[in-house]
Amino acid sequence: MNVYQPFRMRIEERIDETVDTRTLRLKFLDEDVAQKFDFKAGQFGEYSVFGAGECTFCIASSPTRKGYIECSFKTIGKVTSAMKDLEVGDVMGFRGPYGNAFPLDKMQGGNVVFIAGGIGLAPVRCVIWNVLDERNKYKDVTIVYGARSVGDLVYKRELEDWGKRPDVKLWTTVDPGGETPDWKGQVGFVPSIVEKAAPAAANSHAIVCGPPVMIKYTLPVLKKLGFTDDRIYTTLENRMKCGIGKCGRCNIGPVYVCKDGPVFTAAEMARLPNEF
Amino acid sequence: MSTTTFIRNEDLKGLVADLKAAGVGVAGPARTTDGAVDYRSIDRFEDVVLDAQPRTSLKQFFLPPTEPLFKYRREGSDVAILEMPAVQPPRVIVGARPCDAAAVEILDRVMNWDYKDEPWFARREATTIVAFACPGGDRSCFCTTVGLAPDSTRGSDLLLAPAGDGYVVEVVTPKGQKLLDAFPKRFGAGPGVDATKAYRDKARASVDGHVPGSPEVIRQWVQTHFEDPFWSEIALRCHGCGGCAAVCPTCHCFDIVDEPETLTEGTRRRNWDTCQTALFTVHASGHNPRHDQCGRCRQRVNHKFAIYPSRFNEVLCTGCGRCARVCPAGQDVTEILTRIVAMATGQGGAA
Ligand SMILES: Cc1cc2nc3c(=O)[nH]c(=O)nc-3n(C[C@H](O)[C@H](O)[C@H](O)COP(=O)(O)OP(=O)(O)OC[C@H]3O[C@@H](n4cnc5c(N)ncnc54)[C@H](O)[C@@H]3O)c2cc1C
Ligand code: SF4
Ligand code: SF4
Ligand code: FES
Repeated sequence: MNVYQPFRMRIEERIDETVDTRTLRLKFLDEDVAQKFDFKAGQFGEYSVFGAGECTFCIASSPTRKGYIECSFKTIGKVTSAMKDLEVGDVMGFRGPYGNAFPLDKMQGGNVVFIAGGIGLAPVRCVIWNVLDERNKYKDVTIVYGARSVGDLVYKRELEDWGKRPDVKLWTTVDPGGETPDWKGQVGFVPSIVEKAAPAAANSHAIVCGPPVMIKYTLPVLKKLGFTDDRIYTTLENRMKCGIGKCGRCNIGPVYVCKDGPVFTAAEMARLPNEF
Repeated sequence: MSTTTFIRNEDLKGLVADLKAAGVGVAGPARTTDGAVDYRSIDRFEDVVLDAQPRTSLKQFFLPPTEPLFKYRREGSDVAILEMPAVQPPRVIVGARPCDAAAVEILDRVMNWDYKDEPWFARREATTIVAFACPGGDRSCFCTTVGLAPDSTRGSDLLLAPAGDGYVVEVVTPKGQKLLDAFPKRFGAGPGVDATKAYRDKARASVDGHVPGSPEVIRQWVQTHFEDPFWSEIALRCHGCGGCAAVCPTCHCFDIVDEPETLTEGTRRRNWDTCQTALFTVHASGHNPRHDQCGRCRQRVNHKFAIYPSRFNEVLCTGCGRCARVCPAGQDVTEILTRIVAMATGQGGAA
């Protein structure tokens, strides 16, 4: 079995998130592999449909929940369209976990602020579950999540669960015009809601994932709140093929996103040339 | 000091015949039907052409242009995966250029970076490289600038250099010694390395100085000039065809694709790819982080002369000059590097 050969995974569950986004729960066919498999929050994998090809998604489930992995994908091209056509019980491929991870050990004992937009909640959700499953290791947990419209919010059932928890401060928002008559959350772009939520910067780390514009306008808000560059984390999604530092696809200047990333601090991002 | 021995011209012919008789694949630089010289399978040593640089490099023998990674067969909702052989049949390459042999060893670094690329190393292990000291290059060659030479032994298992009625054989690796041991009658006493000195000196003189400066000077300039008008200027003439990458012994970018053969069966393959095309980096959303040819030309130089050296302490270029010879637009790596060296040493800038 060479490094490019995937594990076979059976689709256990399909959860439709939005009009174009779906979550799949996958189980290893091989019990031995399932036992040995381990990963860290923030890592990614190459998922494949045999006959259509491979594509890159983060592992959206938490390493604290054993026995399966989940991915959430937006139907956008060749492979993701083929994934959309798979049924529960079908077999697909997965190789990974690859890349670095969010440094949870550094975050323990402090506050964590999660900020996500659109499908950017997928990599963040993995960390949220990881943190909530070990809730006593962290202080305040704040989640700010936004999407273009109510229909574009992913993980709606989980948002409901998090909203009910007394130990989580959840802010959900939709872009102006994206609200429905019965929408009870915020209306406004993510950066302005972060400003409103004003999480304390002392002893805090922030994780920010979403569309580039959201990240661009959220960083100054966090800085104003007192977050330093080395305590803000995000992930990059340069196009990948091998995921293991061989195919040359994911370079940003000297950085291999698949090996050095996908998790970077805002400080590291600021040093990268503008090629992402 | 490596051990040396000698092989007579007649025995070289015999050695290739012996290898073929033993069922070992033999390849070497030989004429194609259209008259060009390429590394290809050969039946006899008489077909080997040593006085012209092969059009393509040895890369194809280790990273084939298209290579099956595994086969799949769908069975209802299930899928069976058919693995590719983990061991490759033995092969000897006779008449490799030293620069091409070096390229293979340079690529071992990335192919073994944390994850071992088994398809690459299966071919590496099965292959013995018998290089012939280069007779000398044309004005596109600059191996001595990047730390190699027409007679460098890097990546070779045996290095042959002509003397008298045959070749002085330098044993470079245990694998080379194994080849000697397998056919002991083909090797014997003869002139020593000293007898090849004039040949080697002449070859070196033919390439020395084609690109001044050192890889270190180039690396420092490239690392500190990500934004520089120089890149847009050289990009203007590039068509983005990727010919340079195809002939380059060290360009190793690849794509991974599925090729269905029937409704239920197919092959996942890796195919050569190149950072010189726009599609290489474009996201599914349409966003392209490397959005113009300027970025792509810079990437090729950056990867070879800055990124790879800082990761692996190796220049990802052997100075073979192929990219300059093949380019339909006249992009010339020797000119690019010469100008970088001039800018780095304060003697020039973007025109
Ligand atoms: C580290 C990482 C994590 C990601 N996580 C997610 C996630 O959780 N959910 C999600 O919906 N999307 C995610 N993406 C983006 C996702 O990989 C692409 O949307 C997907 O590959 C598109 O595949 P396709 O075949 O449907 O599209 P096509 O346009 O048909 O793409 C064809 C090929 O291009 C490549 N490709 C195209 N766009 C991208 C891209 N943006 N990034 C990487 N490769 C690309 C793929 O290899 C694919 O095989 C992530 C990307 C990276 C790099
Ligand atoms: S061969 Fe020449 S034109 Fe083609 S991509 Fe390379 S530099 Fe550009
Ligand atoms: S970059 Fe050009 S000169 Fe350097 S190894 Fe590749 S083809 Fe040869
Ligand atoms: S994805 Fe292949 S090198 Fe990073």
